[in-house]
Amino acid sequence: MSPDLSVTLSRLKLRNPILVASGTFGYAREMEGLVDFAQLGGIVPKTVTALPRVGNPPPRTVETPSGLLNAIGLDNDGIDHFLEHHLPYLTSLPTAIIGNVAGEDEDEFVELTAKMGQASGIAAVELNLSCPNVAGGIDFATDVEITRRIVKRCRDVCPVPLIAKLTPNVTNVVSIAKAAADGGADAVSLVNTLLGLAVDWKEKRPVLGNGTGGLSGPAIKPVVLRIVWQVARAKILPIVAVGGIATIDDVMEMIVAGASAVQIGTANFYDPMASTRIVSELPAALKVLGCDSVREAIGAMHVGA
Amino acid sequence: MILQRTAQVIENVSLAERTFRIRLDCPEIAAAIRPGQFLMLRLPGTSDPLLARPFALYDTVLDPSGTPVALDVVYLVVGKMTGLLAEVKAGEPIELWGPLGNGFPQLEAEHGVCVAGGIGQTPFLAYVRELLGTRGYAGQRPRKRVERVSLYYGVRTASLAAGVEDFQAAGCEVHLASDDGSIGERGFVTRLLERDRPAGPFVGCGPEPMLHALTKLTASWKAKCYVSLETPMACGFGVCFSCVTKVKTATGWDYKRVCTEGPVFDADSLVVG
Ligand SMILES: Cc1cc2nc3c(=O)[nH]c(=O)nc-3n(C[C@H](O)[C@H](O)[C@H](O)COP(=O)(O)OP(=O)(O)OC[C@H]3O[C@@H](n4cnc5c(N)ncnc54)[C@H](O)[C@@H]3O)c2cc1C
Ligand SMILES: Cc1cc2nc3c(=O)[nH]c(=O)nc-3n(C[C@H](O)[C@H](O)[C@H](O)COP(=O)(O)O)c2cc1C
Repeated sequence: MSPDLSVTLSRLKLRNPILVASGTFGYAREMEGLVDFAQLGGIVPKTVTALPRVGNPPPRTVETPSGLLNAIGLDNDGIDHFLEHHLPYLTSLPTAIIGNVAGEDEDEFVELTAKMGQASGIAAVELNLSCPNVAGGIDFATDVEITRRIVKRCRDVCPVPLIAKLTPNVTNVVSIAKAAADGGADAVSLVNTLLGLAVDWKEKRPVLGNGTGGLSGPAIKPVVLRIVWQVARAKILPIVAVGGIATIDDVMEMIVAGASAVQIGTANFYDPMASTRIVSELPAALKVLGCDSVREAIGAMHVGA
Repeated sequence: MILQRTAQVIENVSLAERTFRIRLDCPEIAAAIRPGQFLMLRLPGTSDPLLARPFALYDTVLDPSGTPVALDVVYLVVGKMTGLLAEVKAGEPIELWGPLGNGFPQLEAEHGVCVAGGIGQTPFLAYVRELLGTRGYAGQRPRKRVERVSLYYGVRTASLAAGVEDFQAAGCEVHLASDDGSIGERGFVTRLLERDRPAGPFVGCGPEPMLHALTKLTASWKAKCYVSLETPMACGFGVCFSCVTKVKTATGWDYKRVCTEGPVFDADSLVVG
């Protein structure tokens, strides 16, 4: 018998726990032919802002040992363009579409969430409370009270499940996750990129056009596992693990540490078929654990003390 | 359609100083790719280097019946990935995906002029054959589109000139320039162009300062010019938004992705600097 791959994150039900992360899968059209969308648990398209943004000057990415540092700067054409040009295609795909939005202030978050959440065919909205690359922007998810308030106000205007995507660049993610839960989030995505810097010492300047950037890829996986585990142990709300996931082993580690679902990010760049391959490997991995469903494996890790 | 495959290396041979030609057994991509398009190549089994790197199609390899069966890529060793690529042996696997990008314009002209600097000659071999009608690509029948093709090719020094015989064998007129005069004329390749003043159209590939000089020159001649950019990329198929360049729009400019909107652009459409 094939195992039950479906997962439920509060009000959000997914066919399987393998999603693709915002900013690493474009608007999905680019992946046509490479990825069989019907296999995916869901797609999170690139973050949308209220107004078009040109993004940061290049170089926007630089490779680091087993990692990638990026400062794209939310290059996008704005919510109206997204709803008109990308959403009809996205919602025609045979998988869950989780719209991702970032506001420059609280009111903008609310406005964007209302537009995205009320658009037909959207399965959920993910709040990008944590983009480190927006000049002058505030990393909203570094503050407990701001996080609670934004999530609460967005929840009030959003008819579909709401996910808060948090930053790892804080002392205690657990308290921020609690704030998101207090605000009424259905789940938290853990995490966005880790703030970093690459230096060209000969030119005596940062490598990236923006100066600092966000670190992603295999290099950050241990940090993400630690955060997922901390938040899972606090039993706050369902977790979507994001960061350094590239193989079925990475996925299983996140799930037993307490994640209900995962997002594949940077791996889409260097192994475009990774997401669907991982889905196909999931049943065999569950069998190793003797589990008949993904649900049984979530948080299965034994911990002393 | 973009395909991701693991291909066996058929050979990996030296062409010039720090310059190699790698041949990959990949019939499906070879059958689909056309000149000016590119591939992403990645070393399997390592996360350092993590990302694939973009490389132009040098040419496809045909079997005796004329069916494309393999891909040639010519690369210069400049850093981490290309350094390791030079160590790869026949029989070993390489990850790749393609065909990527839009390829060169299918010019119709009397005389097509390709202008290359550094390792920028690599995309032009297949193009010469397509233009002269000696090869068809991506399932198209061969058709003669131009009477003559010239390659103006500038290198720093003679030992770096790679593939000159391939171009000559393909029926291309090759004009060489080198910074130190060790091969061809001494000086920049644009100086050679100024001397000969061909009518064009022109297609350029190479370092940015060379492309700027070419664009300025051809604009002053009111000649048509296209350039192929070699902006660093992370994915190659449009999802990462790294490889952007400034492209003119009705209201000013916008960053456009070189991988999906290029890598070949009308030189007039680009904002310099
Ligand atoms: C569409 C396209 C086609 C290309 N075709 C070819 C080809 O046919 N043959 C070939 O040899 N190369 C080609 N390149 C360039 C090639 O991708 C780079 O040389 C390669 O990525 C270097 O990887 P590396 O790991 O060896 O160098 P790294 O270790 O990543 O970098 C070494 C040094 O080279 C610099 N560098 C890296 N990439 C570039 C770049 N694209 N432009 C300028 N400087 C760079 C870095 O800043 C660094 O200083 C192409 C690039 C593009 C975008
Ligand atoms: C190039 C790039 C662009 C990204 N853009 C976004 C974005 O627009 N919105 C967002 O919420 N996260 C964005 N992220 C963060 C990813 O969604 C993910 O949280 C992070 O990269 C960690 O996962 P990974 O290690 O699997 O890539 C981006 C990451 C990268 C590498």
